[in-house]
Amino acid sequence: MSKSPSNSHPQESDTSEDPVFRVKDLKKIYGEGEAEVRALGGVNLECREGEFLVVLGASGSGKSTLLNLLGGLDTPTSGELHYRDWNLGAADDDGLTQYRREAVGFVFQFYNLIPSLTARENVALITEIAPDPMTPEKALEMVGLGERMDHFPSELSGGEQQRVAIARAIAKRPAVLMCDEPTGALDVHTGIAVLEAIDRINRELGTLTLVITHNSAMSAIADRVLTLSGGLITGEQRNEERAAVKSMSW
Amino acid sequence: MSLLNRKLRRDLYKLKSQALAVALVMACGLAMMIMTRSLILSLESTRDDYYRDYRFADVFANLKRAPDSVAEDLRAISGVAAVQTSIARQGRLELPAMIEPATGLFISLPEYGRPKLNRLYLRRGQIPEGPTAPGRILVGEAFAEAHGLQPGDDFSAVLYGRQQSLRIAGIVLSPEFVFEAPPGSALPDNRSYGVFWMPYKELARATQMDGAFNRVALTLRPGVREQTVIAAVDRILRPYGGRGAYGRESHTSHTRLRDEIGVLQGLSIGFPLVFLGVAAFMTNAVMSRQITLQREQIAILKSFGFSNRAIGGHFLKFALVIVVVGTGLGILGGIFLGRNLVEMYHLFFRFPLLEFQLARTVLVAAVVVSTLAAVIGVWGAVRAAIRLSPAEAMRPEPPADFRPAFFERTRLGRSFTPSLRMALRNIERRPIRSFITCIALAMATGILVVPSAFRDGINHVLDYQWDIVQRQTAYTTLIEPQASLALAALRNLPGVTLAEPVRAAPAELRFGNRTRRLAVIGLSPQAKLNRVIDRQNRQILLPDHGLVLSSKLADVLQVKPGDSLRVTMLEGKRPEYAVPVVALAEDFAGTAAYMDIDALNRLMGEGDRISGAYLSVVSGQWLDFLAAVKATPGISGLVIKEAIREGFRKTTAESIGLIQKIYLTFATVVAFGIIYNSVRISLSERQRELATLRVVGFTRGEVGGVLIGELVILTLVALPLGLFIGSGLASAIMQAVNTEFVRLPLILTPANYAFAVLVVTIASIISATLACRYLNRLDLVSVLKARD
Repeated sequence: MSKSPSNSHPQESDTSEDPVFRVKDLKKIYGEGEAEVRALGGVNLECREGEFLVVLGASGSGKSTLLNLLGGLDTPTSGELHYRDWNLGAADDDGLTQYRREAVGFVFQFYNLIPSLTARENVALITEIAPDPMTPEKALEMVGLGERMDHFPSELSGGEQQRVAIARAIAKRPAVLMCDEPTGALDVHTGIAVLEAIDRINRELGTLTLVITHNSAMSAIADRVLTLSGGLITGEQRNEERAAVKSMSW
Repeated sequence: MSLLNRKLRRDLYKLKSQALAVALVMACGLAMMIMTRSLILSLESTRDDYYRDYRFADVFANLKRAPDSVAEDLRAISGVAAVQTSIARQGRLELPAMIEPATGLFISLPEYGRPKLNRLYLRRGQIPEGPTAPGRILVGEAFAEAHGLQPGDDFSAVLYGRQQSLRIAGIVLSPEFVFEAPPGSALPDNRSYGVFWMPYKELARATQMDGAFNRVALTLRPGVREQTVIAAVDRILRPYGGRGAYGRESHTSHTRLRDEIGVLQGLSIGFPLVFLGVAAFMTNAVMSRQITLQREQIAILKSFGFSNRAIGGHFLKFALVIVVVGTGLGILGGIFLGRNLVEMYHLFFRFPLLEFQLARTVLVAAVVVSTLAAVIGVWGAVRAAIRLSPAEAMRPEPPADFRPAFFERTRLGRSFTPSLRMALRNIERRPIRSFITCIALAMATGILVVPSAFRDGINHVLDYQWDIVQRQTAYTTLIEPQASLALAALRNLPGVTLAEPVRAAPAELRFGNRTRRLAVIGLSPQAKLNRVIDRQNRQILLPDHGLVLSSKLADVLQVKPGDSLRVTMLEGKRPEYAVPVVALAEDFAGTAAYMDIDALNRLMGEGDRISGAYLSVVSGQWLDFLAAVKATPGISGLVIKEAIREGFRKTTAESIGLIQKIYLTFATVVAFGIIYNSVRISLSERQRELATLRVVGFTRGEVGGVLIGELVILTLVALPLGLFIGSGLASAIMQAVNTEFVRLPLILTPANYAFAVLVVTIASIISATLACRYLNRLDLVSVLKARD
């Protein structure tokens, strides 16, 4: 059964066996005629609760397009895209807004914090509109920022700002955490601290986590690694065991 | 085209709506400046040419009667260049289509040749010269137009008690009557008052003035002091009932024209400068934002070796393109409006030809002023851009510093929503920017108050002044002052329910070295019809001695209650007294000095006399009343209040109304420009923030709320401030345009304020809606991935 998210709340699945995302022959084409760009050329994918996925790919491989479609920031040209029972492919703008509000947490390369709000307030912004959030304080403690809650973004380092962004993303207990190059603007040391926070969320809350990156070193910490190239999934690798974030280096 | 110029073109295209908003505000200021300065030039140069070509005199005098030989004495005064004597007499006009009585001023033409001074411009027909058929007269254009009179039309007039048959030979204009109003009246009434010229012999015969004159005009040689000549003229004419010579500065038509030019001068500076100041601020805001957005581009250009001069020039060019568009639109607008307004001046001023003349020096000034405004506006931002080192510019800007806003540090702050906090902190972080935006919004509100204040002032005069203050139906004047018994006859005219006596006595009022000649008006101390009103709209009860002056007259003479004036009566024995000023009256047209009629009669020493009366007439017997007035030989004129009100409506009210509409349009454009620009800049600065909110699940409405929160707070502060500034601006402009002839009271109504608030609110809503639409089209992902 397929429902439009615009007229009902998402229904949580009873079993962890049901996929969170079901994606069949997903295509995204920008422009028309000669200007046509095939960003995604027919992607098939299933993602399950609690999974930690790393999506690797070079610039222009289609990884960001995939994240945008899964995250409800864009709509596909064709193909099926289901989040649990929701048909995201057929959702309108209001439906996608509701989907993002309730189910998805985002982390971007440039932290995109509201400069005029403190760390706590940046998180509270989300907890005020989410149906079943954790407290901002708890979210910030999970990312190791319990001590710096009342600082403004300008008073925090890049890594700390990114961890506030993660706390903001997970405070509403989203089913999915989408991270687009979360360490792209950070040095190794702070990058690892940020990944530790993401890893901890994934393990403790069981949040389906998708990290897109061109940094192949991250493959080791994932359950599954997808490689995109030319708008298609060209490789899939499962790790029997996830490496500890601390052991990483790049 | 160089690549920098190509970049400029594309940047401009991208910012077209904001650039256009700035250019429009600039254009409004310039259009107003060009329009008013060009009108001033048109009026002044036309007047000067007309005065020179038609030999408008320098000094004028009226007297009872002097033999022609006295003209020789006048010519002999040292410094006098030319003398023109004539006869002038009022007569009652009898026009077939006119129910109400009309009055004409008949002036003689020289027996031979053209007048030496105050020559006539012939519009149509011909000027009777030499031996002509009897009764050929010339009529002033204003009266001819009001009655549709043409050369060849016949009518009759009662001159000195005798009916004369007249035929119009031509329609003329005179430099003496560029503005044509009945004597003593500040407002024209072209239906019931006209000026006529007829050959000397005929007029002299009809008025028993053969070999004599009662009016003289003269010109002075260059460098001669006017006061010396006036004193000499007065000395010579005194034995012949001279009423005091005066210069151009006291000539009714000339001063009316001068005052109108003064009004334009009042409007030509303050208002446009406010607009240009706002345009400078807007240019600065737009350019600062552009430069912030182009930080990295500037760094790259510099790292490639572009000089500071090239980069500074690039951004200055950006501002200059706005100036070019703004100036172009302003010049076109100014010319278009100026041309249309020149037409309107035909309502008041009769020139042979009044053509719009573009004030070219003002064009240059306009270009310079607006360029300066833009360059000043943009200079700080450009300087910041070229100072940036390439390495620094290539790094993204660090997050802006914030701290809890002042209000949050109070108890109140605990209940604030995040969007309110964001708005407050944004405001507090950049106090100067917020202050200037607030002032710009206040200006947008304030300039909307001014035009409506003009409209309300006019309506006040039209309704309140003429219905509540002046309750008479008509004012009638007698040929000569008569014993107060004459009032009974006027009271007995059909339909008259109330008649109140008036004694008008020409006098010279002197305080220090300032003088004014006018008729002192004697009224009943507690008049019920034409009441004397003070600033608080209370009736002033005329005391049994002392003068009540129009406050404008007090300004002119620089006197205040308690001061004592030298008053010289210009009739009879010309007695002179020291008379105290006891109170100031608020009237709207002309200037007057009021006195208790008995006190005035005592000063004149001629017993109880009246020169006319204010009458209240029931409408049912109006026609009978008019017929009776026409048939009463002692009545020289009738001023009907409704006719004057209509004259005011058609001239002053119409012209101010037109200017008011232009200003209102401009003010609305400016208000929209300011608000739209503020919203766009706020949108540009905060689009990453807003996109983040959208991505994390805020609805469009919620994000819109965050965007306009700051604008709403600033607008809420700006509105009362704007109403305050607007009231001050209205008061200042009203002061500047108020003249001795017409004054508008400063009326500030709740409706006026509500309108200004409404326009600003609507502008805010429309601008916010446009911004929200833009926000909806925003590519959320690319905004978030971009470095700021």
